[in-house]
Amino acid sequence: MLTTIRRALVAFSIAGLVAAVLRLRGAGGTPPTNGGWRELSGSELR
Amino acid sequence: MAATTVKIVGLGAVGSRVARQLASSPEVGTIALWDSNAPKTQAVAHSLGAAAKIDSSATSVELAPKLVVLATPVGTHVELAQAYLAQNISVVSVSDSVEDVQGLMGLDAEARERGVSVVVGAGFSPGLSCVLAKHAGALFSQVEEIHVATTGTGGPACARQHHRALSSISIDWRDGVWQSRQGGSGRTLCWFPDPVGAKDCYRAARPEALLLAPAFPGLERATSRVSATRRDRITAWLPMLYRPHPEGGPGAIRVEVHGRIDDRSDVVVYGVMDRPAVAAGGVAAVSALAVLNNTVLRQGAAGLAELVEPVPFLADLQRRGIKAAVFEGVTV
Repeated sequence: MLTTIRRALVAFSIAGLVAAVLRLRGAGGTPPTNGGWRELSGSELR
Repeated sequence: MAATTVKIVGLGAVGSRVARQLASSPEVGTIALWDSNAPKTQAVAHSLGAAAKIDSSATSVELAPKLVVLATPVGTHVELAQAYLAQNISVVSVSDSVEDVQGLMGLDAEARERGVSVVVGAGFSPGLSCVLAKHAGALFSQVEEIHVATTGTGGPACARQHHRALSSISIDWRDGVWQSRQGGSGRTLCWFPDPVGAKDCYRAARPEALLLAPAFPGLERATSRVSATRRDRITAWLPMLYRPHPEGGPGAIRVEVHGRIDDRSDVVVYGVMDRPAVAAGGVAAVSALAVLNNTVLRQGAAGLAELVEPVPFLADLQRRGIKAAVFEGVTV
């Protein structure tokens, strides 16, 4: 019983570590989710 | 230059818009028209006035066109492009079919050898989506990911293609290899320019990745999605249950570009809201004028991300009423 719990804890810890590494080292930024659309104009089209 | 003839093959929702856009361009003297529907051809020719002439067949060169715009249903573009290429005539194709785009891209070596251009996917999406990706790409030192989403359809042929695409295999570019995924999978909520707003989008057989990957060396991911309702996804596996509308309502595209600016990761999101057939007509017309004016970046067969400078292209579209927008995020 204790062995099973210990294995589960180790598995969760490893999964957490992998998730943390991916979260911190993942490529690309996070797309904006708040804000609005603005028409391109002026220097953006010159 | 005023004597230049441009031929338009296919006069549906997109082809007739291309004809009108080109008729108002001083670079074009004569517009040769052909469509399998003779009364429609006559109606479009009548509306354009003296500049329009009706050609005798889809592949005829009697009116000596310098460039041909292909706006026929998907599946016909490669054969037509080959016929015109053999006559050293440049081609602009608006097809959004994966098979057509693959076939047209395969004409690159011959087109280069003949010194002509084959503009592939010169519509709303692909087309304007590729130009927006290129425009956004200029802000980055290295572009890593491009994700395109589209909503809305143009004419009936476009609606049928949307229907087919949802049940076909999508092609994504991932870490230097092509990846096939089932269309209709991969739901993503995408925010389009107002008033379209948020739509659920899914993988579909779209050719964007085929056109974007060669234009961005080092690109890690390129994907394309289309919006769909539950009914669209369920019925995608069946024949179309009812005749599509002559023209769909407002549509939009959204192009999300991820990359690195120096050591920092960043994201830029561009979009356009318009009637897809109107925007596709404008994009095809501006592409045709770029070829006629020799402002394309190289000869051969390629998408707009490889062939045109995005800033003058978008400025010309803006003058024609097709306006791009940027999504400006708010820090919370």
